[in-house]
Amino acid sequence: MRRASALAFIVMVVAAPWLVAAAVPRQQRYVLHVLIFTVLFAALALSYDLVVGHVGSLSLAHPAFFGVGAYAAAILATRARWPFLADLLAAVLAAAVVAALVGVPLFRLTEHAFAVGTLGLALVASIVANNWVEVTRGPLCITGIPKPVLGLPGGPTLAVTTLPGYYWLALAALAAVVLLYRRLTTFRLGRAFHAVRDNEPLAGAAGIDPLKYRLLAFTIGAALAGGVGALYVHYLSVMCPEEMTVALTVNLLVIVFLGGVGSLRGVLVGAVLFTALPEVLRLAPTWRLVIYGGLLLLVVVRSPEGIESLLRRASGARAGR
Amino acid sequence: MALLEVRGLVKRFLGVTAVDQVDLAVEPGELVSLIGPNGSGKTTLFNCVTGYLAADHGRVLFRGRDLTHVAPHRVARLGVARTFQQVSVFPRLSALENLLVFLQQHQEEHTLARLIRTPRLRRLEVEAVERARRLLDLVGLTDKADAAAGSLSYGQRKLLAFAAALMPDPDLLLLDEPAAAVNPTMINQMKSHILALHRQGKTVLLVEHNMEVVMDISQRVVVLDHGQKIAEGSPDAIRRDARVIEAYFGR
Ligand SMILES: Nc1ncnc2c1ncn2[C@@H]1O[C@H](COP(=O)(O)OP(=O)(O)OP(=O)(O)O)[C@@H](O)[C@H]1O
Ligand SMILES: [Mg+2]
Repeated sequence: MRRASALAFIVMVVAAPWLVAAAVPRQQRYVLHVLIFTVLFAALALSYDLVVGHVGSLSLAHPAFFGVGAYAAAILATRARWPFLADLLAAVLAAAVVAALVGVPLFRLTEHAFAVGTLGLALVASIVANNWVEVTRGPLCITGIPKPVLGLPGGPTLAVTTLPGYYWLALAALAAVVLLYRRLTTFRLGRAFHAVRDNEPLAGAAGIDPLKYRLLAFTIGAALAGGVGALYVHYLSVMCPEEMTVALTVNLLVIVFLGGVGSLRGVLVGAVLFTALPEVLRLAPTWRLVIYGGLLLLVVVRSPEGIESLLRRASGARAGR
Repeated sequence: MALLEVRGLVKRFLGVTAVDQVDLAVEPGELVSLIGPNGSGKTTLFNCVTGYLAADHGRVLFRGRDLTHVAPHRVARLGVARTFQQVSVFPRLSALENLLVFLQQHQEEHTLARLIRTPRLRRLEVEAVERARRLLDLVGLTDKADAAAGSLSYGQRKLLAFAAALMPDPDLLLLDEPAAAVNPTMINQMKSHILALHRQGKTVLLVEHNMEVVMDISQRVVVLDHGQKIAEGSPDAIRRDARVIEAYFGR
């Protein structure tokens, strides 16, 4: 029964472009655009949750890693004409290298200083994006980023040019992130991450090197954020410094903390609610802010652990527990 | 050669000398107690031995190997286990997982290799679960295996922390007040657990305020006062030692 409904859900998600075409033919492009954003934000939020949810380090630097990946891909694709998969890989690696380098000094700081330090990093990254004009073109933005072409050198290629095609590409990326997220957060690795999060001194007594595990989650989270950055700029075909401001951090914090910190399902639900919902609610402009704000308030008051705990309570009640 | 040797250890905190020139040796298989009034530096000594604090002077040798600047997780992997005076568990992990965490780091080294659940890793996990269940049985927490550690009572968490320290089968066990703040039945339980370990040949250094426990089970007692070692000897000798009586009752 559970399996069947999970399968039905996955089929629906994959078939979304056709469903949208059938249901709202006149707004098809707009709805697909919202869906693509939702999927990319879900992947980004999961990469963020690896750090805040599973090793419990409140990093505010995620836009910086997203930006490093986005700019790496944008520059390599436009100026060096690298193929899509190559610049995607470069984006992932560039973000990981930056995270590993800054992570070592940052994780030596205390909890609060770490948050402030990562915020500083995000601000510096945003200033660099604005002012290092020779490389980033600053506020003029990098434009003309080509649509992704999948394929390896010499082999057949597949250009992703349509909105449904891009939706499926984003969905494939999200699936990869979900798989990696599950691998990292369950079994032995997950246990070690959670031990570090819940009781660092005791983790040490258990033979776990807290710094190593924090750095690992931070670096992998950054690498994935860099990859999402690359997908993002290939979709929009431009990259501007505004894409990596602190506003992005706020968005991620809302998705992760209101959805359910440290929970796959919670973060995914959060991504849908707080990316797609504001867009959908825009249809009633007068009420949008009121409803959105009210919802935030309700979740915070009723369920400080996020929507995930509401879901868990609901499914617990159904199971008659 | 002594299993653990502490030489001229000094640790100061802003004006307070918490540990002052302490020498201490524990032979393999010995059960030694470290006692002293509140604030005499027992926990600080543990923290210096296990890498949680850096000593200002002196050395800590484990099997002749210098532990003075070794991080806690490395000390643990060398075979030194410790418990904390303030009962310490992973509250959001289940009781069973609390124990598993303590073995997995000793079983394998390669962090990212765990992304792939090889047959070898699965087999190690099965072995770890078996050992963890045996230890939960031993401390009487069999039916709490799947309960979140944070939901257990104080005494149960204390037993869980004790069992966790035993998971990697350590060569040296440092116990910081295992019998404090629990009921008399549990005190007796702890006492017999520690004695059983001693009979199996484990080396134990015990910090404990409960004199009955200390005098009953220790082979040797070391007494600290204001960070200094003021006496050392058999339980009987310590009971009659004038300086010890003075330290405990003379103020
Ligand atoms: N982190 C610290 N910072 C400052 N002072 C400390 C610190 N830890 C311990 N002290 C001081 O060092 C001295 C020794 O403390 P310690 O905890 O080692 O004593 P103890 O023998 O374990 O006492 P108890 O029996 O109460 O547990 C005390 O004066 C204490 O206040
Ligand atoms: Mg103490």
